[in-house]
Amino acid sequence: MRSIWAVATNTIKQALRMKVALIFVLLLVVLLPVMALSTTGDYTLKGRLQTFVSYGLSLTSLLLCLLAIIVSIYTVTSEIEQRQIYTVITKPIRRFQFLLGKLLGVMLLNTGLLILFSAAIYTIAVYTPRFTKAADSELIEAENEFFTARNALAPPEVDVSTEVFEAIQKLQKSGDIEQIYAGMSPKEIVAQLTNLRKLAKRSADVGHELIWEFENVRPRDPNGSLFVRFKYQVSVTPPDSQVYSRWLVGDYRQYKYGMQGGVPMYPVQRKDPVREFREFEVPAVVAAEDGYLAVLFFNDPLNITSVIFPLEDGLEVLYKADTFTANFIRAVLLILFRLIFLACLGTLASTFLSFPVAILLCLALFSTASVSGFVIESFDYLSESLTAVYSYSLKWLIRLLPQFDKFNPSTYLVPGRLLSWSLVARVLVFMVCIKALLLLVFALIIFSFREIARIVV
Amino acid sequence: MEYAVETFSLTKIFSDWWGRAKVYAVDDLNLQVQRNEVFGLLGPNGSGKTTALKMLLGLLHPTKGKAICLGGDATDPKISARIGFLPEESYLYRYLTARETLDFYGRLFGLDRQVRKMRIEALLDMVGLKAVANRPVGTFSKGMARRIGLAQALINDPDLLILDEPTTGLDPIGTRQIKDLVLKLAKRGKTVLLCSHLLADVEDVCDRIAILYGGKIQAKGQVKDLLQQTHKRQITTDAISDSAVEKIKQIVRLENAECVVSSPMHKLETFFIDTVVAAQRQAQRTSGAVSTTKIGDFLTRETVSENILDKLVSTPLSQGPPAERAPTEKVVPAETAEPKPDERLLGKLAEPAQPQPVVADAKPGTKPVETSVPEQKLVKKDVLDELAGRSQPKTEDPGQTDKPYAGDSGDA
Ligand SMILES: Nc1ncnc2c1ncn2[C@@H]1O[C@H](COP(=O)(O)OP(=O)(O)OP(=O)(O)O)[C@@H](O)[C@H]1O
Ligand SMILES: [Mg+2]
Repeated sequence: MRSIWAVATNTIKQALRMKVALIFVLLLVVLLPVMALSTTGDYTLKGRLQTFVSYGLSLTSLLLCLLAIIVSIYTVTSEIEQRQIYTVITKPIRRFQFLLGKLLGVMLLNTGLLILFSAAIYTIAVYTPRFTKAADSELIEAENEFFTARNALAPPEVDVSTEVFEAIQKLQKSGDIEQIYAGMSPKEIVAQLTNLRKLAKRSADVGHELIWEFENVRPRDPNGSLFVRFKYQVSVTPPDSQVYSRWLVGDYRQYKYGMQGGVPMYPVQRKDPVREFREFEVPAVVAAEDGYLAVLFFNDPLNITSVIFPLEDGLEVLYKADTFTANFIRAVLLILFRLIFLACLGTLASTFLSFPVAILLCLALFSTASVSGFVIESFDYLSESLTAVYSYSLKWLIRLLPQFDKFNPSTYLVPGRLLSWSLVARVLVFMVCIKALLLLVFALIIFSFREIARIVV
Repeated sequence: MEYAVETFSLTKIFSDWWGRAKVYAVDDLNLQVQRNEVFGLLGPNGSGKTTALKMLLGLLHPTKGKAICLGGDATDPKISARIGFLPEESYLYRYLTARETLDFYGRLFGLDRQVRKMRIEALLDMVGLKAVANRPVGTFSKGMARRIGLAQALINDPDLLILDEPTTGLDPIGTRQIKDLVLKLAKRGKTVLLCSHLLADVEDVCDRIAILYGGKIQAKGQVKDLLQQTHKRQITTDAISDSAVEKIKQIVRLENAECVVSSPMHKLETFFIDTVVAAQRQAQRTSGAVSTTKIGDFLTRETVSENILDKLVSTPLSQGPPAERAPTEKVVPAETAEPKPDERLLGKLAEPAQPQPVVADAKPGTKPVETSVPEQKLVKKDVLDELAGRSQPKTEDPGQTDKPYAGDSGDA
C-alpha cells in the first residue's frame, strides 16, 4: 500500500512539474472567468446562467478528459521509454501495484482539479444573480427553472395498436392500401399510422377539451409549486399566432366520481404563442395525496384552430424534486465517471503501445464515445438500409464504449431537470464497475507479463 | 552452500519483429556467485553483461534457463527488498530533487520516515551531493546523476548489490570511493555483483571474475589465480644506494635470473587524488562556485562519509588492519593528521564487539558518549528502526553530521 502511494504521489509531482497539468489549469483559469463575464445567452438571467454552466462544465469536462488520457499514458510510457522504471520495478513493488499507483495518481490529480473547477463554476453561478441587475421576474424565473432539480412527468403512453391494426385491416380489405401508401414497407405504414393515431389523441378542436392523468406526482415540498410545460402545434396559424386557453389542474376524480371535500381543481387562463415552450405554475397542494394529478386543457371558442400537443414533449408536469446543489454534485459525478473510464483506457493503452500511438488510439475512442449515443440511435434508423452484419457488428463494437453524450451533465443542468441517483448509479455500474474495471484488468494482466526492458524500435 | 546468485543455462535470444535475425545476447550462462563475495562480470561492449543482469532482476524474461537471486525470484518483494541495483545509466526522474529522489526510493522499500531521513542524509553526505540536494536531478552532470543512482541502490542497505558499470562517468575520487565501498560491504558480509570493462577497477575489488564474450563465459576464477605471474618476483625497497643495488644484482645473478631496477611510478589515480586534495585545501576559503564545492564538499566531508560508509557497512573503520585502510588514507587529509574525535570513539566502541558487527549489547556503553550513539545504532537495521522511533536522536543527528564538518574546515 505504501509503495502504491509512493508511486501515486510521484505521478502527481510529475504531472505538475513537467507542466502537463499546468497548461490545462491555465486554460481553465483563464477561460472560466472570461465565460462568466461574456456569456449572455438569450439576455435573460436564466439564459445567461444556462449558457455559462453548460459551457463551463463542458469545457472542464473536455479538458480534464484530455488530461486524463494524456497523463495516464505519458506517465507510464515515459517511464518505460526513459527507463526510470528499471530502478522502480526492481524494488519491492509488484507490477500491479506500480500500475495501480500510476492510476491512483492520475485519478487524484483529475479529481482534485475537477472539484476545484466545478466548485468555481458552482460559486460563480450561484452568485451571478446577486451581481447582475435583473428584474424580479427574471430572478423568479431563474429560481424556478434553473436553480432547481425538477422531475418531469410525461403523460402515460396511449396504446393505439389495436386501432392501428383495425385500420390496416380495413385498408387491406378495401384494397386502398396499395394506392395510399405506395412504395412503403409494412413496418413504415404501421409507424406512420401509429403516429397519426397518437397525435389524434393529443389534439383538441375549438371548444373541445383534452385530459391527461398522471400518477406518482410527489413534489419535495407539498407547499411549493407544480409547473405545467407545453408547446402548441396548430392546424391553422392564428393571425397573431396566439392561442387562448383555459386549464384546470388537480384531482379530477372528485368530479368524475362525485367525491367531496378535496382541494378544488386549480383554474388557469392563458394566451400563449404557438410553437414555443411555455410553462405556468400551480400550487403543489392540488396534487392528490396518492400522487394522482389531472391536467385539463380547454380549447377556447375564441380560437379559430384546433390545437395539437407534439408527441415527444408537447406536455409535461414538472415539480421540484431536489435542490440545485445536489443535482450539480451528481452532474459532476457523471464527469468523474468519465475521467475514471478514460484513465483506465489510457493506462491500458500505455501498457503495450508507445506514447503517440496510445494517444491517437485513445483520442479516437474518446471522440467515438462522445457521439456514440447519437451513432447508436442513427443505427437504429438506418438499420433498414444497412446490411445486417455490418450494422450489428459495428453497433455492438460501439456499444462497448460508454455513451458520453447521452449522460452529459448539461442535458440535466440547463433545463434544471432532476438527475436522479438511480441514473448516476446506473452509469457508475456500467461505465466504471464494468467497462473501466475490465480495461484495468486487461492492463494489469498485460503489464504483469510484459518484458519491461524489451526495446522495440 | 546456497549461492547469492545462481543461473542455470540462462539464455536470451533477441529476435526482430518477424522472429528473424537472432541475437544470442546471453548464451547458456551458468554462474554461481557465493555469498559474501565480490564477483566481477567482464566483457567487451555488447557481450551480454547488461542483458544477464536484466534477466537476473526480472526485467527481461530468459528465452531459456533460469536465474535465482538470494534463493528466490528477484521479482518477489521479499527478495527484492534485499537487493540494490544500479543500472547501466542513471535513469532518474528529472523533475525530482536529489533528496526527493532518494525519499521516493526509500518509500518504495516501505522505510519509516525517520529512517528514511537519516539514511538519505547519510547517503547524500557519502556521495557528496548534500550541497545540491535540493536541485532537480535533471540539472545534474552525468557523474552527479551516477552518484544519486548509487545512493539509490544503497538506501535499503542491500544484502546483494548489483552494479552495472558503477564507475562510468565518475571522477577518480568517486571511483575510488565506490571501490572502497564495495570492499567494505564485502567485509560486512554482503555480496556484490558488478559488471564493467574497466579492468583496473575490477582487479582492485573483485574476488572472482568471469569474462563474457558473445554471451558465453570464456574464463572464470579467482582474480589472484588468474593474474599472478608465478614465474616472477618483485621487490620494492626504499631509495637505497647504487652499491646496494649492485649487490642485489649479484645475488640475483647467482640464482641464474635476470633483474631490472627502476624507480616505481605513482599510479595516476593516486597522483590525481593527491593533487585535487592539495588544490582543495588551498581553495577552501574562497570556494563558492558549485563546480568547486562539488568536489570540495565531497572531500572535506570524507571523514563523515567514512563514518557513514561504516554505518552502512557496520564495520568500524579505524580498527581495520592497516593494509585495508591504505586506499582511504590517501584520500582523506584529516585522517593522516589525527583521527577525528568521533572516529576515535567509534574505534573504542568497536573494541568489545570486534569480530562481528556491533550488536545491541554495545548500546549501554555508548550512551554516555553523545556523538557516537547514532553511529552505533545505525549499524544494525533493527536498532536503527528502534532509534527512529525516539525523539532523542533527532537532536543528535544534525549535530553528528555537522560536527566533523566544522572540525574539517577548521583544520584546513
Ligand atoms: N532489446 C534488444 N533487442 C535486440 N538486441 C538487443 C537488445 N538488447 C540488447 N541487445 C543485444 O544484445 C547484446 C548484448 O547487449 P548488452 O547490453 O547485454 O551488452 P553489454 O555487455 O552490457 O555491453 P556494454 O559493455 O556496451 O554495456 C548486444 O549485441 C545487443 O545489441
Ligand atoms: Mg551494458
